[in-house]
Amino acid sequence: MRRIIAQARKELTQIRRDRLALALALVLPVMLISLLGTSISLTVTDIPIAIQDLDQTPLSRRYADAFRSSLTFRVMTLPLATAPETLLARGRARAVLIIPERFEREIRRGRPAEAQLLVDATDSNTALLTRGGAGQVTAAFARQLGPPRATPAVQTATRLWFNPGREPRKFYGPGFLVLGLSIFPTVLAALAMSREGEQKTILQVYVSSISAHEFLLGKVLAGMAIGLTQWLLAVGLMFTLFGLRFAGDPSPLIAGSVLFVFCVVSFGSLVGAAIPNQAAAVQAVALGGFLLAFLLSGLIFPVENIPAALRWISNLVQARYYVVIVRDAFLQGGGWPAVWWAVLAIGGLGLGFYGLAWRTMRRMQVKA
Amino acid sequence: MRRAWRWLAGRRFWTLALKELRQIRRDRRLTISLIVPPTLQILLFGFALDADVQNLRLGIVDESRTRQSRELISVLTENPTFHLAGAYATPAALGQDLGAGRLDVGVVIPHDFARLRLRERPATVQVLLNAANANTAQLAQAYVEGAVAWLNRSLDGVRAAPVELRAAYLYNPGLVSAWFIVTGVFGTLIILNGSLVAAATMIREKERGTVEPLLMTPASALEIVAAKIAPLFLLLMAMVGLVLAVARLVFEVPFRGSAVLVLAACACCVLTGIGLGTFISTFARSANQTQLISFFVNPPLAMLSGGLTPIEAMPKWVQPLTLLNPIAHFATIARAVLVKGAGLDVVYPNLLALIALAGMLVGVSAWRFRRQLS
Repeated sequence: MRRIIAQARKELTQIRRDRLALALALVLPVMLISLLGTSISLTVTDIPIAIQDLDQTPLSRRYADAFRSSLTFRVMTLPLATAPETLLARGRARAVLIIPERFEREIRRGRPAEAQLLVDATDSNTALLTRGGAGQVTAAFARQLGPPRATPAVQTATRLWFNPGREPRKFYGPGFLVLGLSIFPTVLAALAMSREGEQKTILQVYVSSISAHEFLLGKVLAGMAIGLTQWLLAVGLMFTLFGLRFAGDPSPLIAGSVLFVFCVVSFGSLVGAAIPNQAAAVQAVALGGFLLAFLLSGLIFPVENIPAALRWISNLVQARYYVVIVRDAFLQGGGWPAVWWAVLAIGGLGLGFYGLAWRTMRRMQVKA
Repeated sequence: MRRAWRWLAGRRFWTLALKELRQIRRDRRLTISLIVPPTLQILLFGFALDADVQNLRLGIVDESRTRQSRELISVLTENPTFHLAGAYATPAALGQDLGAGRLDVGVVIPHDFARLRLRERPATVQVLLNAANANTAQLAQAYVEGAVAWLNRSLDGVRAAPVELRAAYLYNPGLVSAWFIVTGVFGTLIILNGSLVAAATMIREKERGTVEPLLMTPASALEIVAAKIAPLFLLLMAMVGLVLAVARLVFEVPFRGSAVLVLAACACCVLTGIGLGTFISTFARSANQTQLISFFVNPPLAMLSGGLTPIEAMPKWVQPLTLLNPIAHFATIARAVLVKGAGLDVVYPNLLALIALAGMLVGVSAWRFRRQLS
């Protein structure tokens, strides 16, 4: 035990003396989470849309005003002479609404008038949002026009749970907490391990009386101390910048976070032990830690949309489980009944990585 | 001008460039790192990143259990957006599963639904959405309301709403989200891999201490830098060709605009990447330091580019920063030219910005590299 603690203390001292590593450990996660967490969102809130009014009547202007007063759209008027496609090709507007001639006359005669919406579908998600928003505005406008008794037969009363303001940052903030914790503790652990190999200080470890378990545990313990500090900083950000609170019992989050940090530090140590070259080890972590966590964990894009041939890989990505735990703790508040399986999976993966790291180290022998 | 020509035609430049080429050819890892990761990355990104809202899990509490309520359920589940994940006895049980993340949408049909409908009084259906993911919630809400509106219209008889909205999806009528992702990731790949390779070759001279012999050759510092950049440029353009082929053959991204324009933009982007890599390498003392510094630069550069998520969805104060991001300009050009078929008259501001950024980065890094040499 004393040897484990001594090893951990040596690691922490080494980090403290390396300014670049210290910045990587404490400053960068905070910067990354606050910058990306507030900036990344799939949902455009004021979609630029142009309206070409070929009718120019009171009613057509009222229809255009319905779009102006909606929060979803930022409206500009398109002169009659301009072709709508030029605006879309330049990316100045995401959609063009064309109100046809005789718009008012048709409605006054009780015949349905048809407005056209040309949507730039390059970005299919924004295109669908634009279409949905425009449909809602049009439906509300049509209701105003209709006879007063015409309440629709079936109405919906929609309630938004867990994030009633539909604020994207409440969803992506916790996601980037996961991304930050997947990158930085892993990189630091991989660096600490591969440095021993690269600078041949590993030989001193081999000739000392320390066992592979003690050596590894010391490294992992030091890595976990740094990782949990980062976690505390990140949770602080969640409470301040992102305005989140624990939605329920925080104990699954705490247990899951300790296990997750153990898991990523073990993964980093495994990479560092397998690749005794710092540059190559960092590259491997960038690929394994960052890219897989970013792509296959449901951070921004839903996991369900990944083709089945690739989706099974996501079961081996620890971040995928941690995302579930973090979002549950801050948004849904389902507690242990909802996330026990994710906590278990992270623990299992962590033990697996630790075991593999130990296997590469256990002989404590110089590789031929 | 004449001096520049004589300099370019000079044998020294070619000799040095040839030396670099040979060095790169002998370094099998470098060549592999230019072929395997970009191809893998574009395949992974293109296949895995899909913002489509589909197969949302729908839970239903049907307290009415009548023909009318079943009609409503069938209208909702007809849509491929929703699939019925379960029927619940009470709203409380539904709420519990929604909270546990086993459902995305819940619909509660009240027990007096059929009675109200028969009396031609409006009946209200409760819709519960898991809004944790704002994007999914917004689209799901629009789908539910659309389905209910459609039901109302068919109930009211043939009388259509006074205003109809007909939407036409231009450029991407099939709403393939891979087109957006692939054109967005393309620039990220060029910049990140370009800077990585450039930094690696630049730092090698420093690490191995071969800068001294280089200095002793009669070549000027400018020649040394130019000769270092030229082979990298060729190599990276080959990578660009590979990525373009994957985009065309695997993801069937349409190539509607001029190929020359796309290649010109790629060339600028490659130069920017090389410039960035050289710039980073002048700050670092060793290869692993360049990699760590890249950790500070790359994630924000890639994420705040509009390549994966729309720039308009970013906060107001971040949006102007993307004007300094080469990946953002490249993504705009790639989308405009490849998907929309736009010409130079549309993309010239972005192309100019890209040229300016490339010139600035290459210039500053060449200057810093030269200062290191002397």
